[in-house]
Amino acid sequence: MYRKIYRGDFKCHLWFSPKARRTKEELEFEAFNGDKSSKPETLNAFHIISLSQGFDLSSLFEEKKREEKEELRFATMRLASSVISRLEEVAKSVKFNVKKSESRVRLQGQECGRNGRLTIVADIFVVTPSFLVLEVKKDNVDTLEYNQFCSKEFRPALKDIVWTSPAENPTPA
Amino acid sequence: MGCFHSKVTRQHPGHEDPVTLASQTAFSVSEVEALFELFKSISSSVVDDGLISKEEFQLALFKNRKKENIFASLIFDLFDAKKKGIIDFGDFVRALNVFHPNASQEDKINFTFKLYDMDGTGFIERHEVKQMLIALLCESEMKLADDTIEAILDKTFLDADINQDGKIDISEWQNFVSRNPSLLKIMTLPYLRDITTTFPSFVFNSEVDEVAT
Repeated sequence: MYRKIYRGDFKCHLWFSPKARRTKEELEFEAFNGDKSSKPETLNAFHIISLSQGFDLSSLFEEKKREEKEELRFATMRLASSVISRLEEVAKSVKFNVKKSESRVRLQGQECGRNGRLTIVADIFVVTPSFLVLEVKKDNVDTLEYNQFCSKEFRPALKDIVWTSPAENPTPA
Repeated sequence: MGCFHSKVTRQHPGHEDPVTLASQTAFSVSEVEALFELFKSISSSVVDDGLISKEEFQLALFKNRKKENIFASLIFDLFDAKKKGIIDFGDFVRALNVFHPNASQEDKINFTFKLYDMDGTGFIERHEVKQMLIALLCESEMKLADDTIEAILDKTFLDADINQDGKIDISEWQNFVSRNPSLLKIMTLPYLRDITTTFPSFVFNSEVDEVAT
């Protein structure tokens, strides 16, 4: 049960709980980089390879299962501009605020949940001009709220721009 | 009950003392003891023998002992410095030392080079990168057309392989990483700074006292 919060009238206190600790640097980075226009980073083969779970030794130190801190990664063959437009549409449909640059879209809910406002950050990376990777992660927000939002609103809205393997997606590359 | 030291050496063959390990690494003695707490829980998870097997490593990483992953295997092999198929406490501490935020860039660069040079030829070859790329796409359940994969490899090697001989040597790798520092992101674990709070050592200094006598 959430209390209705009016924009600007109430500041949510952000608790830096241990599980959010990892994103603190990201928050600081964002505070400085907010709307700054920055081109999407290009990923080379080694960037892609280092995305593997097998390289993420932080799991050795954490009790949680991977699903709980999952970063969603989507591949898409749409243009960055079209991905950003789609994310803006999603934000509008759920009455979220949007902050964007050429490479990052930040969606923030207006209501306060357990850990502050539900904030989702989507980063766009270029692999080849026709192939982008979209990395979506939560930003200092309750995992349950985030997972619910992703499964109910976010993923369905992105369904037609997300590219899966050729067997499932018959449109030509 | 037996004294702590003999109990430890019986359960943990080849156990090196924290003072020695601390002197060889960026860790303090109490940090080494905290790492020992972590090591104990990982190394006893399948077989309580004081050593980390590949299965126990997989269990710690993926919470699934059966999950095989080419990258976890590569990391395991590098931790297993003595090539015995298992990781002892000394191996564990010395390997994690490279992941410390204060470890040198040089050590991190060398570690990643050895990691990607899968067959240990001293070069990162295109076929190795291709193999790893395909493995990652598989892991992520993404399939790419072969010409897209080749395009990614072409672009990567154009950037990294300065003398265009089809393979990346250590100096080309150093150069490439200096231009793409995010490639070393996997080589730093901020957790290692707070290790004594994450894994409080209940045997603080007791082993040091044992060794000193």
